[in-house]
Amino acid sequence: MDTLAQLVLSGILVGSIYALMSVGLTLIFGVLRIVNFAHGEFLMLGMYGAWAMSRFAGVNPYVGLLLVVPAMFLFGMLVYKLIVTPGLDKPHLVIVFATMGLSIMLQNLALMIMSADLFDVPPMFGGRSLGIGPLYVKTELLIGFCIALGVTFAMRWIVKTTYLGKAIRATVQDREAASLMGIPVHRIFLITFASGSALVGLAACVMLPVFSVFPTVGLNFVLIAFVIVVLGGMGSIEGALLGGICIGVVQSMSSYYFAPAYGQLFFFILFMLVLVFRPAGLMGQKGTANLGMNP
Amino acid sequence: MNVVLSRAARMVRALGMLAALALGSGLALAQEPIRIGVFQPLTGPFTKNGVEHWEAMQIARDMINERGGINGRKIEYVLADVPSPAAAISETERVITKEKVKITTGSGLSPLAIAVSQAAERHGAFHWETVGAAEVITRRGFKYTFQVGGASRLYSQAALDFALDELSRRLKIAPNDLRIALLWENRALGKSVGDGIRIHAADRGVKLVYDEGYDQFLTDMTPIVQKLKDVNPDVLITIGYPNDVILFQRKAKELNFYVKALIGVSGGYSNPELRDSIGNSVYGLFVSEFPPRVNPKALKPEALEAANEFFRRYEAKMKRPPAGHASASFSALWGLYTEIFPKAKTFEPSELREIALSLDLPMGSLPNGSGIKFTNHDWAPDKKDFGQNLRAAIGIWQWQKDGNNEVFPKELATHEPVLVPLPPWSQR
Repeated sequence: MDTLAQLVLSGILVGSIYALMSVGLTLIFGVLRIVNFAHGEFLMLGMYGAWAMSRFAGVNPYVGLLLVVPAMFLFGMLVYKLIVTPGLDKPHLVIVFATMGLSIMLQNLALMIMSADLFDVPPMFGGRSLGIGPLYVKTELLIGFCIALGVTFAMRWIVKTTYLGKAIRATVQDREAASLMGIPVHRIFLITFASGSALVGLAACVMLPVFSVFPTVGLNFVLIAFVIVVLGGMGSIEGALLGGICIGVVQSMSSYYFAPAYGQLFFFILFMLVLVFRPAGLMGQKGTANLGMNP
Repeated sequence: MNVVLSRAARMVRALGMLAALALGSGLALAQEPIRIGVFQPLTGPFTKNGVEHWEAMQIARDMINERGGINGRKIEYVLADVPSPAAAISETERVITKEKVKITTGSGLSPLAIAVSQAAERHGAFHWETVGAAEVITRRGFKYTFQVGGASRLYSQAALDFALDELSRRLKIAPNDLRIALLWENRALGKSVGDGIRIHAADRGVKLVYDEGYDQFLTDMTPIVQKLKDVNPDVLITIGYPNDVILFQRKAKELNFYVKALIGVSGGYSNPELRDSIGNSVYGLFVSEFPPRVNPKALKPEALEAANEFFRRYEAKMKRPPAGHASASFSALWGLYTEIFPKAKTFEPSELREIALSLDLPMGSLPNGSGIKFTNHDWAPDKKDFGQNLRAAIGIWQWQKDGNNEVFPKELATHEPVLVPLPPWSQR
């Protein structure tokens, strides 16, 4: 029983970190209806940023996010201007290949500058865990879980209640009508893309105390992020949280009760089942792929 | 008379010119460099390995060239970047056909070695594999591929023998009662070493209490550590790459999984940055791998001299001592340059092959403690096997406070094992 509880707990905590990493992807997809294939490399950049601040300025990654998040916001704006804008009115494949190219470029740039070495920050709480009865909880994961919950609710609140949120929703529902109503659609796109990028920066700062950073670290996570986005419902922010937690728990349980070599197999089976029986994902609505964010 | 003299003088002059021409072309030939295709992953996920091998290989070349080369001929490398097996095949094809190279070496790690040697063999090039350890490399009926660094089976044997012969004594547990768990990452090396341990365990009548592989992209080690806690082993033998080894070690500490001794096999456990990632808890871990530095008494004087020079140059350049695999790359090339090339005249693959097969060098002949004796369809377990070095040195070293020190087998060891059993996590 203790083992089961430990597995579920670990699955939820790790899953929430996956969710945090996927929120930016789902936001960009939901509003711009484009898939950013360089998402994993954005994560890698954010992690290097947080690592560099820790290494050279002695700043804890949780404090470092105050700089990494705005920096990633600016980086997102730059990528939007240089790479996404020229492809917006062209066939979907143009942006797919453009972001894929960006992904390869960033990976190799990181290899040239940082080498293939792994970097990480020293364990923050002595590397030991909080003991809750017979269960162990890694403090860094608990912090990540709280941040993931906070981000989900904050994003929900922004989209539902603020003027910016209304403008985003209007843009999602009908770009042309929104434009006619005086909403600067391209600026909304820019802000959304940059915010998505900033959210990856936030995820990077939360992940660095748990995972090492290296040039191809994005590959380890981007597949999971895509699965979570589709599983939760493309464009659904709460869906990403739920999807992330589902993946975390499925991975943890199947690795223990079956074999760790099949951890990915089981979440892909879950992924396919959802696509067959509920193609819009757990929290998405029908036709999300065309409609974008769940308004 | 004058006419005869002048004719004779002309003949002498002509002969002199001919001789000079012949000498000149001979000199030109003597000066022509020996070109070797070097294949290493210098971009992509295996870059770290590739860069270390490339450094070691350059040192071998420079040391030979500074001594005047091979009978006056310098060694020259044609470097190719092979980040993946597909790139390895196309680059090997290119270097052999376009650059006209007939001698190749590399290749950082097994999947690349398999690909490079396959393409080299197709073109009849002489391939000198320094570290690729997969057993399949020498079992494909090839004629020109030589695996100098030793097959993965040797890593497995060293790890298990160390546990049964050395650790059991120190832990005061009879070998048959020693609870040994095996955890492997399911890529080529992990699978190959895992197979080797299973076979060797059966040979030695040992039953493993846990034997499981995991996926390279596993990001949460909780299930594995939890399972290991359930079986409660005395010794854990594990094979992983740098990222998953760090995740595993951190999770083991987090969930308070205690094991009396841990033997990592190559890969992530020999990664020099492991200490930065997991701090002092690295001390006491054992690694089954190419020896980084062996007992000087185990080496022939000339091998010892080369080893010392290699260590000095590598540390000066890389600011850290070489890992075992870099030492192995250096040693393998040192063997090629000092034992094979000086005996060669044409440097054709068939000639180099014959010289390689004729070598019978005892352990301690190469700077990392290896000897050379290649199989030639005469190895009892598999008659198809060709080009496997039966005298590759593989031992166990330990992360100790004063460095990575060789502790097993006795003849190569420079230090005694310490921290057996490992202290509990609270004291590490």
